[in-house]
Amino acid sequence: MIYGALAMPICAAVLTLTAATRSSVKQINMLGGLSTSFILFGLVYSVQAGGILAAPPLYVDSLSCLLLVVIAVLNLTAFLFSASYMEKELHEGPGSLGALKRYYVLLNTFAFTMISVLVVENLGLMWVCVEATTLASALLVAFHFNRAGIEAAWKYVMVCTVGICLALFGTILLYYAQVSAGPGAGEALSWLALRDISSRLDPGMLKLAFACIIVGYGTKVGLAPMHTWLPDAHSQAPSPVSGLLSGALLSCALYVVMRNLVIVKGAVGAEFIQPMLMGLGLFSVMVAVPFLLVQHDIKRLLAYSSVEHMGMITLALGIGTPLAVYGALFHIFNHAVAKSALFYLAGHLSQEYRTRHILRIRGVVANMPFGGAAFVLFALAITGVPPFGVFASKFMIAWAAFAGGYKLAGAVLLTLLAAVFAGMVYYCFQMAFSKPAGPVHQGKLGKPAMAAVLLSAAIVITSGLYLPEPFKLVLEQAAAVISGG
Amino acid sequence: MNLLIILLMFTAFWLTRTTDLRNAVTVFLVQSAMVAAACLVVGAETGETHFFLAALLTLVIKAVLIPYALYRIVGRLRREREEESLLSPNYSSLAAAFAVVLAYGFIDRALPGVISRDALAAAMSLILIGLQIIIIRHQAVLQIVGLSTLENGLYLVSLSVTKGLPLIIEFGILLDVLIAVVVLVILTYRLKISWLSTDTSLLQKLKG
Repeated sequence: MIYGALAMPICAAVLTLTAATRSSVKQINMLGGLSTSFILFGLVYSVQAGGILAAPPLYVDSLSCLLLVVIAVLNLTAFLFSASYMEKELHEGPGSLGALKRYYVLLNTFAFTMISVLVVENLGLMWVCVEATTLASALLVAFHFNRAGIEAAWKYVMVCTVGICLALFGTILLYYAQVSAGPGAGEALSWLALRDISSRLDPGMLKLAFACIIVGYGTKVGLAPMHTWLPDAHSQAPSPVSGLLSGALLSCALYVVMRNLVIVKGAVGAEFIQPMLMGLGLFSVMVAVPFLLVQHDIKRLLAYSSVEHMGMITLALGIGTPLAVYGALFHIFNHAVAKSALFYLAGHLSQEYRTRHILRIRGVVANMPFGGAAFVLFALAITGVPPFGVFASKFMIAWAAFAGGYKLAGAVLLTLLAAVFAGMVYYCFQMAFSKPAGPVHQGKLGKPAMAAVLLSAAIVITSGLYLPEPFKLVLEQAAAVISGG
Repeated sequence: MNLLIILLMFTAFWLTRTTDLRNAVTVFLVQSAMVAAACLVVGAETGETHFFLAALLTLVIKAVLIPYALYRIVGRLRREREEESLLSPNYSSLAAAFAVVLAYGFIDRALPGVISRDALAAAMSLILIGLQIIIIRHQAVLQIVGLSTLENGLYLVSLSVTKGLPLIIEFGILLDVLIAVVVLVILTYRLKISWLSTDTSLLQKLKG
């Protein structure tokens, strides 16, 4: 099953290379995306039914399952949306088939690397996979090879690779601590082995290692002040890729942080980790707010909102109570679904208006009733308006902050969230309900894209009102993996 | 081993002084070959075959494939050289010397009494000097060399602290480094096409 999930994107990529026409490329990849997600759901189901799957070096438990659900949903919507989006992006002509193939091969590789982050057990291999996600997505960010795209991709690779090198340094220190722990330390850098012997590891060394790891992987998560690559890369990538970057990639990076967190927590206790995570998280929210309030670019607006949400999740992980961890995991899921859909729609808008400038996008609802309505819906959802799922998880995090005794952090968080709400809703309503500046030709969303948006909307609305029992179980067990239960 | 460490430091210092792209790649090639040699020395000391394999992989990827890719791109970039760095070569060598002091200070405080103190300090200095090159040099190719130097430093850290990582992880890391360089070379090539220069200080369009 795991091998199937890993093999499917590769198969789709190979088939794409052999395809002869644009429509066949499109069909292969819609089918490929569908079956990858289907296999992922099957994998999650089999883990829930039959317990943890361990086939070294692969390992899938509930925590990986939760993230696999995120990837499965986003992979599906991204491939569906790509089918419509790329049709408009690449006009018929010489070279367009090649470009389309390049896009889909890279997209499949990107999906493959993200899935592999989630299914490997070894922390060293996890590092290798995280670095591979950067490399696979870098050429997608620079897909059009225009000036801005190249600039964004260059900064993306440079900042993330240097950051992640620091994480490798931290991982090497972790290995050193494991070796120094003496005989019976288990296989090198194995997460399970490290978790079991975490109380025997040298605390001083682990503190140093964790500082390196949190700054290193934190770069990839987009925590301030290492977030500088994020708005550039998110705004320049083709929109389905932006959605994946924001919803899936950042979540994968967080997943690796969580895996390391479990070990460090076991060795040095929560007192050391807490201020670090809470500080970084709160600082990220703080840094994102001014950029959200004065923003001209619709995709950069969404990108800074991602920084804010990642900050919030990190804050919740820092609080560390069961409720906070549960809220953090639930928020990862909600944010991923809502934000990716917003990125897709923003891509649709900027295609129709031929600009990403917020002030030049006018009267969206009047011009395109379906796309506009969906855009307003998701904008409200992501800023935390009930009854959507994002509200539920934000509420949990805020509640956990107060219940955990961090009244100041909670109060600051709520104030900042109010500012974010004001900024984002102001800009989005301006785009949606202002008078159309001129006739824009009726922008119609293609059928696959519409399906993707409707699916995301259904998920965001349901998760706010009612959680299906199996999903709730996954969330609870995943939280237990982190809290150590 | 001590001789190798001294030579490695020498290449790092040389990198801070060179402004010619082709020279920088050559120095990097020599440096990578020495890292592979260090791996061989450790292998000879411990007598484990895994080190010989790791040394061979390092040699093939870091001293053959990566320099080859870089030489190819440098061949296309005539008349590109480092001008107006953040720091002049003299000052950047001084900064590198400072990095070495910093590395020793860090090792003595963080890992007191570690066996391979000098090797570790050299590795740390390589990391810091690589970082420094990325920061103060504007030429794309020099930044790639800086990044690869940083990776060499990390490899030396793992070699001196834990006698290397398991082979499969090491192989994965090397593969990542190779792909990273290939991706960056593609981007450099595109930089040259659309900006007519590979000076990365021009990349200032995206802000706010």
